[in-house]
Amino acid sequence: MSEHHKETFITKYIFSLDHKMIAKQFLITGMFMGVVGMTLSLLFRLQLSNPGESFAVLEFFLGEKWAPGGVLDPNMYLALVTMHGTILVFWVLTAGLTGTFANFLIPLQIGARDMASGFMNMLSYWFFFAATVVLLSSLYVETGPASAGWTIYPPLSALPEAVPGSGLGQDLWLIAMTLFVVSSLLGGLNYIVTILNLRTKGMTMMRLPLTIWALLIVAILGVLSFPVLLSCALLLIFDRSFGTSFYLSDIIIGGEALHNTGGSPILFEHLFWFLGHPEVYIILLPALGIVSEVMSVNCRKPIFGYKAMVGALLVIALLSFVVWGHHMFLTGMDPFLGSVFTFTTLLIAIPSAVKVFNYLATLWRGNIRFTPAMLFAIGFVSTFITGGLTGLILGDSALDINVHDTYFVTGHFHIVMGVSAIYGMMAGVYHWFPKMYGRMMNKKLGYFHFWVTFISAYGVFFPMHFLGLAGLPRRYYTNSSFPMFDELTNINEVITFFAIIGGLVQLLFIFNFVYSIFKGTVANENPWKSNTLEWTTPVERIHGNWPGELPTVERWAYDYSKPEFDEDFVLQTVPLKENEINH
Amino acid sequence: MELLVKNKTFKQLLWIGIGSIVMFFAGLTSAYIVRKAEGNWLEFDMPIWFTFSTITVIISSLSLWLALKNIKQNKSASEFLIATLFLGFIFTFSQIQGWKDLVSQGVYLTGEGSNPSGSFIYVITLAHLFHLIGGIFALFITTIKSKLNIYSKDNYLGMELISIYWHFIGLLWLYLFLFFSYS
Amino acid sequence: MTGILVGLIIAVSLIVLVQLLRVNELISQVKNEDPNLVNDDDNKSQGLLVFLIAGVLFLGSVLWQFKYWGIHILPPASSVHGATIDTLMQVTCGLILFVFFITQPILAWFTYKYRGNSKRKAHYFVHNNKLELAWTIIPALVLTPLIIYGLNVWNNITNVDTSNSQVIELYAKQFGWAARYSGNDNLLGSTDFRLVKGMNELGVNMEDENAFDDFITREVHLVVNKPVLLKMRSQDVIHSAFLPHFRVQMNCVPGMSTQFGFTPTQTTAQMKEQEGENFDFTLLCNKICGAAHYNMKMTFIVETEEEYNKWISSQNTLKNTLTLK
Repeated sequence: MSEHHKETFITKYIFSLDHKMIAKQFLITGMFMGVVGMTLSLLFRLQLSNPGESFAVLEFFLGEKWAPGGVLDPNMYLALVTMHGTILVFWVLTAGLTGTFANFLIPLQIGARDMASGFMNMLSYWFFFAATVVLLSSLYVETGPASAGWTIYPPLSALPEAVPGSGLGQDLWLIAMTLFVVSSLLGGLNYIVTILNLRTKGMTMMRLPLTIWALLIVAILGVLSFPVLLSCALLLIFDRSFGTSFYLSDIIIGGEALHNTGGSPILFEHLFWFLGHPEVYIILLPALGIVSEVMSVNCRKPIFGYKAMVGALLVIALLSFVVWGHHMFLTGMDPFLGSVFTFTTLLIAIPSAVKVFNYLATLWRGNIRFTPAMLFAIGFVSTFITGGLTGLILGDSALDINVHDTYFVTGHFHIVMGVSAIYGMMAGVYHWFPKMYGRMMNKKLGYFHFWVTFISAYGVFFPMHFLGLAGLPRRYYTNSSFPMFDELTNINEVITFFAIIGGLVQLLFIFNFVYSIFKGTVANENPWKSNTLEWTTPVERIHGNWPGELPTVERWAYDYSKPEFDEDFVLQTVPLKENEINH
Repeated sequence: MELLVKNKTFKQLLWIGIGSIVMFFAGLTSAYIVRKAEGNWLEFDMPIWFTFSTITVIISSLSLWLALKNIKQNKSASEFLIATLFLGFIFTFSQIQGWKDLVSQGVYLTGEGSNPSGSFIYVITLAHLFHLIGGIFALFITTIKSKLNIYSKDNYLGMELISIYWHFIGLLWLYLFLFFSYS
Repeated sequence: MTGILVGLIIAVSLIVLVQLLRVNELISQVKNEDPNLVNDDDNKSQGLLVFLIAGVLFLGSVLWQFKYWGIHILPPASSVHGATIDTLMQVTCGLILFVFFITQPILAWFTYKYRGNSKRKAHYFVHNNKLELAWTIIPALVLTPLIIYGLNVWNNITNVDTSNSQVIELYAKQFGWAARYSGNDNLLGSTDFRLVKGMNELGVNMEDENAFDDFITREVHLVVNKPVLLKMRSQDVIHSAFLPHFRVQMNCVPGMSTQFGFTPTQTTAQMKEQEGENFDFTLLCNKICGAAHYNMKMTFIVETEEEYNKWISSQNTLKNTLTLK
């Protein structure tokens, strides 16, 4: 029975308890923050490719203080880089990706009316909103936003005298992140409990779509690793504001010797990366899950090796807890420990390779339908291969010596996170838009968006590997201080060029998104002819999802082009035929 | 949602949340262990007030257990809930006294003469108290609901949930107390 | 003024875009088909595009980049251990490129070959244990020797024998470097950050005898083929000593001392002949440390023993510069 309650504007759109509405709230906030984060990167890219030159647009966005005469201030450069990283890693790729798709898909794909606790879910979004407001406000404080990198290593992040952004800006960053982590935990709790308990009749764990498996594992990763970030941040807050010496020791700053002794910045790094590494898998796994779904539906074929795909997700998640030291090879830690982390890091290549091969096998002898979502899924496989392979270099401690903190790293993580994971998110938006809004997104604009993005993204990030191998460090305000980098100028110009194009074309995507909500062609219940349960809900979308009884599941999610059927898809609710082989 | 499913899911939500809190304290206590191994570590005795806190929190779990036992027999739980609440306040008072004790011993959170071993004790016990106070809020609401006769032997999920949380916080304190005393 | 103009252009573009979409819709309404559903023509063209762009263009551009931008990468290492890193890198890159140039074409080819059409059906292929095992075991078998090789190189680098190494301290601060030589006793005098004052920039404890023959420079001179042990400290925040030509990098962390031992194998003069007159071995900071992070540099000069001795003789020990005579 669906729940009938009187909905006001406030309960329907603002403090909604409906998981579908909350998903959209996450999506819109995530998209907005994506624009902000992307703009920040374009601002600093201008400085990087044309160092010291005056740009009116810099002064327009940043004002006279931070871009006097249109030239970017070095402290603000570090602030832009920090905020770009923070916004994209957490706000867009974690909340925007998981918040949207976990909320939207979990109840629908498992056959539930809503999440276990609609109230906690609603709180999860509003904590996220509060975090957003606090973080954005930090952009406007007098001493500037946080500037110690998104990784906020102390002492730099603990001492305002070391960099101005470590004053109020860093305080606000820490408050925003605390609110953010609370939001993530509230969400994660719900996702786990809902998947474990509210599956409809017949929906066994092995009949779940891979997207749900990925989201379940991500939620578990999150509830185990985000709290350690909180403990890490708590000790930093004490060092910053209460004069403790957890991370600080033997420091002279601003001409004064500080009283702190006995602290270790490396302790911070251990605690931070204990979250930091699982975090990047929290970003990647939902994209893997979405791509599995989108590929299968659009190849009109089962995803190849469902059990192996689930197994690979589990192994990746488990291993993600024991690789964090590969961010710390050069901190002076015991070399033996470095060896251990090299070993575990390179092991992760194996389940990742299995997934790639399974995707290729899914394409093999498929009947591929190129929706914009499918193009992004294919783009995901391409960039995941590229980015994953360079990981083999970075994970090897001896090789890391010369590429650590160079543009090689920047190229690697942008290709796997800033491109692959974003492609996963785009694929998800294009694919589930008809279910979210009852309308279709414009196909031609989608194609244009994909191709320009695909070319631009590789144009921005592939060249960075060469910059890194030439020894160019990251987070440098300008490369003109060292003559050895002069010959790299034209590469930097190419990168900025593609960054601007890639950035601008996203506006087209946003236009398509907004336009289609109101004026898109009306979709039917199941425009992609997909098997999963969400496509059996009515176009009008009601709180409670199904107007009558909940559906009963009779088969797994991937019976596409099954020989026993004329149609090339079979809804999960269709009972098995006599003598039909069950998977 | 059916009551049985609701009971199960809400308890699971709480347990996973407890898992998160455990990870939070695992991070802090790992940091403690790592730092201690590096030397320059001030040794001192636990204030006697912390022992008193430990006893208080164990008794408070007992009173809460009795409250739950009562409601399962449809008897009034309010008295025991109020007793638990009261013991929660005593615990808070005792912790503050414990900190004062540390200061008089020369163990400071920060500043001249402070040492990470002291700083950690303050920060970790403060974090624990913060979580206990969260429990006090929840317990307060539960007590009010109990006074309004909302609970019965067929409907006491709220009481079960606060019990699980409260016992966890008590056990966490016991673990921290023993950890600081003997590690 | 520019703002208003930009705003107008945006507004007009939006209106044009909306009208174009409207027209598109009307045409489709006449044709009675949903323009946003994918048809066989789309599959043909997009399938071809994937092959051409994600296949040919992308892979072609990768080869182009290797050819025209590959020349910018660092010259071969100028240190003993650096040569082992370079070899490991070449082997690893060889493997990576091998896998890359097999999997990417397969992706592009499959996508083109199996572009959809309404007249056929896909092949219902659920799983194949043999295949799964194959592509689990083969990567494992390939990675194992690679891992062992890598660990070996790392082990040799980090356990290098430093008993005969010349000890030199690198001191990092916002925003510059200082080097402290340990002098004839090859022992650095102890330090305390509270002693940093005036001329004693590095906080050296002048009551420690070992400090008497230390001396501070703003340029590091090394003797070719002689092992050196760099010890790093920081005054304020985390910095990182990065010497790319030697394949040396190690964080400089306030409150602790880190180290990296290596042996330079080429003189600056040799490198200038190879790479041009403007070449110099440089030390960079490689961990975000504040506003002038991009501008922390120090030159390293590798020279013959005679040239080094000449330079040394002109250096003044701390005993002379820091203590009252």
